Amino acid sequence: MNAFTLILIVISLATFVAGQLLLKSSLNNAAAPPPGRWITSRRAGLFVAGILGMTISFFLNIGLLQKLDLSFLFPFQGLSVIIVTLCACVFLRERLTVPLVAGALLIAAGVMCVSASGG
Amino acid sequence: MMHRLWANPFFQVLVCALFGTASEVFLKLGAAETAHLPSALPWLGLTGLESKWIWVGIVLTVISFVSWMQAISVLPLSVAFTLSNMVHVLVPLSCWMFLGEAINATRWAGIALVVTGLIVIAKPFARIDERL
Repeated sequence: MNAFTLILIVISLATFVAGQLLLKSSLNNAAAPPPGRWITSRRAGLFVAGILGMTISFFLNIGLLQKLDLSFLFPFQGLSVIIVTLCACVFLRERLTVPLVAGALLIAAGVMCVSASGG
Repeated sequence: MMHRLWANPFFQVLVCALFGTASEVFLKLGAAETAHLPSALPWLGLTGLESKWIWVGIVLTVISFVSWMQAISVLPLSVAFTLSNMVHVLVPLSCWMFLGEAINATRWAGIALVVTGLIVIAKPFARIDERL
């Protein structure tokens, strides 16, 4: 796995995390429409931006899949477990509980084992 | 009772993970089928769209996405997303069963770690449900 592949994986991860955060924030109360309206431009904008991030990440993933083993490559998404959890705490002000952090670390460690064992 | 199950956000996370796993397997089949095709922008994987499997994978991704939106409209993202990582158990197992990819000892260890992590996160919620 060379530097170029790594950069692509990083970009795919970053757009994925951004997409998830944007989708969640589009559903949060801060973006909720007032009674009588079914949607606001803020909610729609966040939703579209989230979809865009996920789409870019999706196609980058397919490109990477064409070159690498699925069960090796796929778990790189697992790094996003930690990143998404941290970013959700920082940007979306969600609570981090001990079981959640412990579980996230276990899952991230497991995912790294699975990806390290590949080729 | 079926409606209660369907409305349960944890069940939605499971549905999302199952459809997500199936979609990943089909996407890999499609990617393998089209890997040899020439492309102006190879790293975007657009040649994948020439494969039927990719389109099946896309449909399954959409279904998975719909349940995902249901789940995160109720659950905090950090909880829902961390639990959705059960796919990291389901995908290697599916690759082993359907794509003939090998799972060595390190990979099994990784799967065990992920399962442990999922149990650690899910247990407090299971207790809450029991009390209700």
